[in-house]
Amino acid sequence: MGSLFRSEQMCLAQLYLQSEAAFACVSKLGELGLVSFTDLNPNVNAFQRKFVNDVRRCDEMERKLRFLERELKKDQIGVYDNGDNPPAPAPREMIELEAKFEKLENDMKEINTNQEALKKNFLELTEMKQILMKAQHFFEEMDRFDTTEDEALIDPNTPQTVAAAGKLGFVAGVILRSKLPSFERVLWRACRGNVFLRHAEIEMALEDPVTGDVVNKSVFIIFFQGDQLRNRVQKICEGLHATLYPCPDTSNERREIAIGVMTRIEDLQAVLNQTEDHRHLVLTQVALNIRVWFIKVRKIKAIYHTLNLFNVNIAEKCLIAQCWCPTNDLGKIQDALRYGTEVSGSSVASILQQVTTEEQPPTYNRTNMFTESFQGIIDAFGVSTYQEVNPAPFTIITFPFLFAVMFGDFGHGLLMLVFGLVLVIREKFYLAQKSADSEIWDMIFGGRYMILFMGFFSMYTGFLYNECFSRSFNVFGSSWNVSAMNFDAVTLGNASALDLDPVTPGVYRGYPDNYINGSGYPYPYGMDPIWQSAENKITFQNSYKMKSSIVLGFAQMLFGLTLALYNHIYFKDRLSIICEWIPQMIFIWCIVGYLCVIILFKWITWKDPASAPSLLIGLINMFMFTAPSKADGTFLYTGQSTVQIFVVLMIVFCLPWMLLAKPAVIYYRRRQKANRYAPLKSDSSTTRGLENPNFAEDVGKSQRNYNLAGGEMADDVPIIEQDQLDVESNSIQQTEPDPDEKDFSEIMILQIIHTIEFSLNCISHTASYLRLWALSLAHSELSEVLWTMVMHIGLSMAPPAGPIVTYAVFWFFAVLTVGILLVMEGLSAFLHALRLHWVEFQSKFYKGQGYAFLPFSFESIIQGRVDE
Amino acid sequence: MGLFDFAEVGFNVDNGFLEGLTRGFKNGVLCKEDYRHLTQCDSLEDLKLHLQSTTYGNFLANEPSPLTVAVIDDRLREKLVVEFQFLRNHAYKELATFLDFIKYSYMIDNIILLITGTLRQRQLSELLPKCHPLGIFDQMETVTIANSTADLYNAILVDSPLAPFFKDCISEEDLDEVNIEVIRNTLYKAYLEAFYDWCEGCGGATAEVMCEILGFEADRRSFIITINSFGTELSKEDRAKLYPRRGKLYPDGLTELARADDYESVKRVAEHYTEYRKLFDGTGVGIGEKTLEDKFFEHEVTMNVNSFMQQFQYGVFYSFVKLREQECRNVIWISECIAQRHRSKIDSYIPIF
Repeated sequence: MGSLFRSEQMCLAQLYLQSEAAFACVSKLGELGLVSFTDLNPNVNAFQRKFVNDVRRCDEMERKLRFLERELKKDQIGVYDNGDNPPAPAPREMIELEAKFEKLENDMKEINTNQEALKKNFLELTEMKQILMKAQHFFEEMDRFDTTEDEALIDPNTPQTVAAAGKLGFVAGVILRSKLPSFERVLWRACRGNVFLRHAEIEMALEDPVTGDVVNKSVFIIFFQGDQLRNRVQKICEGLHATLYPCPDTSNERREIAIGVMTRIEDLQAVLNQTEDHRHLVLTQVALNIRVWFIKVRKIKAIYHTLNLFNVNIAEKCLIAQCWCPTNDLGKIQDALRYGTEVSGSSVASILQQVTTEEQPPTYNRTNMFTESFQGIIDAFGVSTYQEVNPAPFTIITFPFLFAVMFGDFGHGLLMLVFGLVLVIREKFYLAQKSADSEIWDMIFGGRYMILFMGFFSMYTGFLYNECFSRSFNVFGSSWNVSAMNFDAVTLGNASALDLDPVTPGVYRGYPDNYINGSGYPYPYGMDPIWQSAENKITFQNSYKMKSSIVLGFAQMLFGLTLALYNHIYFKDRLSIICEWIPQMIFIWCIVGYLCVIILFKWITWKDPASAPSLLIGLINMFMFTAPSKADGTFLYTGQSTVQIFVVLMIVFCLPWMLLAKPAVIYYRRRQKANRYAPLKSDSSTTRGLENPNFAEDVGKSQRNYNLAGGEMADDVPIIEQDQLDVESNSIQQTEPDPDEKDFSEIMILQIIHTIEFSLNCISHTASYLRLWALSLAHSELSEVLWTMVMHIGLSMAPPAGPIVTYAVFWFFAVLTVGILLVMEGLSAFLHALRLHWVEFQSKFYKGQGYAFLPFSFESIIQGRVDE
Repeated sequence: MGLFDFAEVGFNVDNGFLEGLTRGFKNGVLCKEDYRHLTQCDSLEDLKLHLQSTTYGNFLANEPSPLTVAVIDDRLREKLVVEFQFLRNHAYKELATFLDFIKYSYMIDNIILLITGTLRQRQLSELLPKCHPLGIFDQMETVTIANSTADLYNAILVDSPLAPFFKDCISEEDLDEVNIEVIRNTLYKAYLEAFYDWCEGCGGATAEVMCEILGFEADRRSFIITINSFGTELSKEDRAKLYPRRGKLYPDGLTELARADDYESVKRVAEHYTEYRKLFDGTGVGIGEKTLEDKFFEHEVTMNVNSFMQQFQYGVFYSFVKLREQECRNVIWISECIAQRHRSKIDSYIPIF
């Protein structure tokens, strides 16, 4: 196995791990990433599990690391990443790590408190400096004002005014600029307009010592009279978080203090710089290791989380785990367990024991970088049922092909191919660049191989359609010959369009009787370039593309139906083959297959365009039992009437076959079983859910398997006690009831739905494939319009304007080509190809009712892909 | 609600996103099962671990151990505030007014807290952390300068949204403890009446849901005021002025309540009303008995849960805030019981779902 064709064979296993070896073993399994553990104590609270304290310790360590990471971010120090992936450290190393983180956190916190205090001090001093500067300004202004006032109104000799001014008290402080308006208003109201406020903005932004944010502040100075007002003002200042600073009355004192403040600021700046350096030093050390620490802690945490899922057997000092794993990798898992046991120095080996169960195993498709995106498309529809045919490997070819049928243009395909190639070639570079966290980019990059293939196939179909940016290549020379029509000069001169009659000898050299004598051949590959200039190009291509879409669609649906046969054979479902698959096959062949056959027949044999039969009318007539005749253009071959009547009768005959056969057989079997195997009935529920239990020998076989496995376990492994067996039988009880137990009416209804769906789908899905034609028509028309309306204008101009206009117009053309034709049309073609796969193709065989295998893997845990 | 009342047609245009969001938030409210797990916790660390598995997620992940109840309280409140602010910032027109109304009650509480604190000579820095973050506004912290209600109004509150509620309690009297209680209740009364009238004006389902809830709130206040006034110097006339004049008790019940002298007479008033009789029946303070307060809370929770049954109305926003608040009270109660090793009363939380 190991192929993509079916999902990996899985088995349920129980692990018996010695308590001292469990940690190392799980750690090893986590590196391996091949097992998915099931929770054996689903009823136990998170905080009542055994290793909850260890998980908590890890949480605490993670918290400290996050704290350090935040500090790193604050200082904009990048984390050093050398791509190391250290193994999970042993539990005893954990204590070391804890101590280390504890110390770092405390150091960091101490530095932060110191720095905060220093910064606060610094801020205060800066504010003080600002106040002194601004206050100086205010007082100077006031002095000037006072003197002019004095001179003008009052006799300067009376010292009254000076004395009165002296009694005015004032406070000075700093407030957040945003709070200034409300501050002003409250002041005015609370003091009834008896204060005088002056304010000025501090030009430089200040740093808040606690949050580190940049804030804008203003200096204010308030004059008032009397102590009561002073109290009030002070309270308001306190209420609005304004900081008050002492400000001396005289300018001399102010100057002195200012000088003092300046020197202190300088000193403080020096100390601050030193602290900053120290902090930086510590943080750079942290930056070197923090990534590795994070990985280590996360691994330990993941291990303890996993250990919490295990059953603890106190008497035997061992842990019992239950897990799903791929059968092919049992060897690797055994090795990992052995290695884990060795590392931990445990004397007793860890044991892996396979368990038989009827639970449906998870679906595990091993993918690589290339197949990943294709598998992703399938999984987005539904994870395949365990071991059913996986459409992904076929999708690798059919998806890009159907896309290309709609997107067929050599030039556009080439651009897409180049884009895909760039992504693929520079893959390693982009993978290393994890920082780009854009979802759209991830999606495009994830689908790089698909883009590459879509580009390649588009070039192929573009070559078939003979279109490159809507222009044709004439590689082999057209097989049409205009001169053979012998037009005279007058006709050639007057007509804007001329008819080429392929029947006239020598005009079309593609007929077999023409190339027997060596005079010609049909255009060897793809569309004849002459169609590019033909008036009826679209009419011709429509008919051609429409029919080819139906043929392609039929081929894909037929293939899907064939895969269904593989599923039935694999699951030994003989009943479904006989009662479902065979009538379905006949049905689809009769309805769509016959249409395809006559399409091909007409293509190959018809050469007289005048008497070409109409397939559409013919098909309608077939269902009306009207005999084909040459008169209405429906006659194709002799004996057609008999064949068509037979075909229609087959279609009608298949319907009851599909509808009734299977339920009837089931009903009959149930009655027989009820009579003959009455005692076995209760046992039938323990057979494997996937095998069809209708076969008596299957029932017996799986029954025996089960007993055998159970017996082996009981004999070979004495460790198992009764309670562990109970666990196992519990898990068996959890499985869903056997499909056989369904009510008969339910089976009947399902069968009716199934039949109606299939027969209607044969028509509607075939019609649905016409989107291949529609989209490809739209694409070629759009690109043609773009060429004739844009590029053609530039190219058809004469020099000197021509080249310049062409240059200008080219950019317009290029942008529209990429924007509309590549991106938008590409997306729409992608969407339609997706639909054709999900609905038209997969509905024929794919159930998609499985659940994905999510292995316990460190890799995905560290990358954050899995929620712990 | 008239036949041609199409207010609900446009509801989703303006408020659909926020309503959906709120209903989503409501789904995150802890259920009985969660509380059962929480009450089994042995330590606050266990509590934290369990809360991690609920919608609270990692809200305590960055808190260093040992965890304290105060920290949990802060974080719980922070979560509510973040959610509420988000709603408020995206609210449009009427919903914005509605959400502001919700905020006003917190503002009233904050002002009263600050005034009381100042009267008791507490420092502002000590009081501020106790204020509810939803009720913080610019001028709030300057209330400490006021000596009388007139002062309070003229200097500070005239700019704040609370000004209209303040009209009835302006006097030149000095602020003292009794006075403050009167102010609080007068403010609340004015606020409830204004909120009630506004909701009634909205019409439609909003009026239907909110008038019931606010009416209950008004009645509860009337009962509590009456019961608490026994043995204080508050006169019956003054007491009657504090009753919010909305809800089921208005007007007959309130007149009777105004005459009540003891607990029994209050109970007699309640007996005229089916809903309230149930609440007064079988209350007590012993173990296993529920206090009247708890019964009121329970009734409130039921009403708030029911408010989510109606579509196209603002009641869900109010109810969500109230339910979250109740949830915070529950979690804090449980944490306190765990922290103080006082397990006998751990079950007296009020389950929501």
